[in-house]
Amino acid sequence: MALRVTPGMMNLQMMRNINSNLIRMDHNQNKLSTGMKLNKPSDDPVGITYSLRYRSELSINDQLQKNAESAVSWLEFSDTTVGQINDISQRAYELLVRAANGTNPEEALDAINIEIEQIYEQLISLGNSKFNDKYIFNGQLTDQAPYDQLLAPTQGTDTHGILYKFSEGSGLSINISGQDIFGEPNDDDNLFAILTRVQTALGSDDKTALQAELENLKDRLVKINEARSEIGAKTNRIDLISNRLGDLEMNITSMQSKVEDTDYAETILVLKQNESVYQASLATSAKIMQMSLLDYLR
Amino acid sequence: MTSTFHGIETAKRSLFTQMAGMNTTGHNIANASTPGYSRQIVGTAATRPIEVPTLHKSTAPGQLGTGVEVTYIKRVRDQFLDEQYWNANRSLGDWEIQAGTLAKLEAIFNEPSDAGLTTVINNFWKSWSEFSKDPENVTSRKIVRENALALVDAFNETSKKITDMQTDLTRSLSVNADHVNTLAEQIAQLNYEINRIEGLGDNANDLKDQRDLIIDELSKMGNVIVEREESSYYRVLFGGVELVQGNNANPVTTAGLEAAYTGNGLNSGELFGIIKSRDSIVQDYLDQLNEMANTIANGDVEVTIPAGSVLPEGTVFNGITYTGANRTLTSDLTVTVKGINGLHQLGYIFTSPAQRAGEFFSSKGGPLTAASFSLSAAIEQDPNRIASSLRVIPGTVATGDQVVKGNNTLALLMSGLRDKMFTFNPISSNNGITKGTFDDYYRGMMGQLGVQSREALRQQENNQLLVDQVDNRRQSVSGVSLDEEMANLIKLQHAYGAASRLMTTMDQNLDRVINSMGIVGR
Repeated sequence: MALRVTPGMMNLQMMRNINSNLIRMDHNQNKLSTGMKLNKPSDDPVGITYSLRYRSELSINDQLQKNAESAVSWLEFSDTTVGQINDISQRAYELLVRAANGTNPEEALDAINIEIEQIYEQLISLGNSKFNDKYIFNGQLTDQAPYDQLLAPTQGTDTHGILYKFSEGSGLSINISGQDIFGEPNDDDNLFAILTRVQTALGSDDKTALQAELENLKDRLVKINEARSEIGAKTNRIDLISNRLGDLEMNITSMQSKVEDTDYAETILVLKQNESVYQASLATSAKIMQMSLLDYLR
Repeated sequence: MTSTFHGIETAKRSLFTQMAGMNTTGHNIANASTPGYSRQIVGTAATRPIEVPTLHKSTAPGQLGTGVEVTYIKRVRDQFLDEQYWNANRSLGDWEIQAGTLAKLEAIFNEPSDAGLTTVINNFWKSWSEFSKDPENVTSRKIVRENALALVDAFNETSKKITDMQTDLTRSLSVNADHVNTLAEQIAQLNYEINRIEGLGDNANDLKDQRDLIIDELSKMGNVIVEREESSYYRVLFGGVELVQGNNANPVTTAGLEAAYTGNGLNSGELFGIIKSRDSIVQDYLDQLNEMANTIANGDVEVTIPAGSVLPEGTVFNGITYTGANRTLTSDLTVTVKGINGLHQLGYIFTSPAQRAGEFFSSKGGPLTAASFSLSAAIEQDPNRIASSLRVIPGTVATGDQVVKGNNTLALLMSGLRDKMFTFNPISSNNGITKGTFDDYYRGMMGQLGVQSREALRQQENNQLLVDQVDNRRQSVSGVSLDEEMANLIKLQHAYGAASRLMTTMDQNLDRVINSMGIVGR
């Protein structure tokens, strides 16, 4: 059966065609104006799951980078503090060498004794260092000062690590305990104990005792340096983690961009095509719609 | 002898018939753009001829024509195409509604964006990680609280928007049911009139067009079966239930429609789409949202509690009661806890002596759903009730435990839950995730939403094409073509002119006979 063509059919067809062309244009226009080709789940049901994954990974990555920054601040502060501890312990060592070797007039020994006492107090104060209002050398007991002026030689610290996380699984303990620096209570080379004994020895000018303490202090200095290099090693490790997090961020961002972002060149090209098609559909419709037998009946 | 006026009668019959033709053409042109109108054609036939009259019975072959008459005026319409149209239209109806519903759901979830649930959930986990760096500080505690509140709000809001949608759909169902009833009344009324007119042997063309147009409309709302009865009545079944019988309409009710939906009587069309959207699609996303809220708060999840942690007195894991000295873990302990609440209750808050923490999330009443999901009142009022530490220095009964404030184990475990597998209750959805991270579940939901929405759009487009195609075929048969009408008009005009000329000729003949004959010699 030959199809009768009626104006109603042509009208319907025309409206549908023009409309679907417009919808296509609107869609591409939307892609261009939002800069995103993925505006709702139905735009790309598979893409949406990737998009959400990337978004949440970027979000947590951002947090992990912040964690790394905080950790580095903490470690830098610890490094400075341990550096100072090292410096003044070195000074104590020099004084001790001077006191233990050769003959010193009593005034000189007294002066050394006074300086040793100052050093002791300074060490207590460094041992009680606070960062962000937290005692950094007392393990997890960050609200309690680890060392007391009088009891320091016999005081231990909490040794639990404070864990910062820089990835899903692994964490890094960023604190260093006071015991690692100053020695455990009753250790021969407990820094506070050494200095206390040194003071006594200086009072009685006991060269033998001083000589012994010299050895202890030497041991301690080595350990302080070990603690300091541990801080350095941790800082390096976090720097590496930071770099990796930075790289990861770039990778994820670029993958996210592939899923979410509009390819401008391509979309503009397609939009131009849509425009031509739309114009053609308008033009032909206008032409066909005008015509009728009426125009020729005179 | 033939009647003197035979020719005049023949001419008159022709004039009337051509005029009827022109009037019908006029009617067609007038209704060229009337929805549902089918073109009408005039059927003509020669009137009964008579013997060629002679003095005797004629032996000459042939009969004398007596002119023309209109035998019928009927509409040109194909019932088969109507049936096809109604069948295609109902599918279009339900897919349109479903696509609309899913598009609204997409707008509610608003993904991907910086304002969707993903962002809020991510911020929540981040805040615990941030908190882990500074557990002693009330500020970071407040950040956790604010982000938890944002999460709670997001769940509450989303749930409300979804239930609002269900309410809208219910309202829409009732409005549409009313509309069906109005249409049913009209069909019953038209049945009556068409029956009356056709009973007299006429064609109720325009009324039948109207009735079919109403069925067109009705066919989009549900599955319609039309039975054409002898009496020219339409018996209409809607959603498997008799809607119109003769002059009577049986009104549908929302309850009746819901029953028909459940019993599979109502299986397509807008009303089907509305009920399906409300009870199945929207409900499914609400169920999943509820499941998410309940699972993050109370769902089973495995965590590893590191050595050195101190469990609260009397905690039972894997049949072992932790009390006294064995509260302090000497090695890592992997256990299943009940969501964030279960984990939080292992922690301690900074009172002296240390107190075991309470639950983190709670319900505003009733079972925990996305709507009743809330932050525990104690924490909302006092962020110090948020636990971060899993370690105490055990004391005597008198002194109690002293909390180790710098311990951030709980905060770390909390932020780590982001990557932990929760156990989700299986629900009648297509999501199908029963074990996965919280993010996995939500992503699964969004992926499902995308697939469903895209499928609905595709179905809508396909069905629209189908409907258009059938409509095209129908228009091809029934539509008014102006060119055709004009051509007919010209044809009829000429016929009319010629008939008039016949009349004039006859007139002249008679004039000759009456006025000019018998006047010889006058």
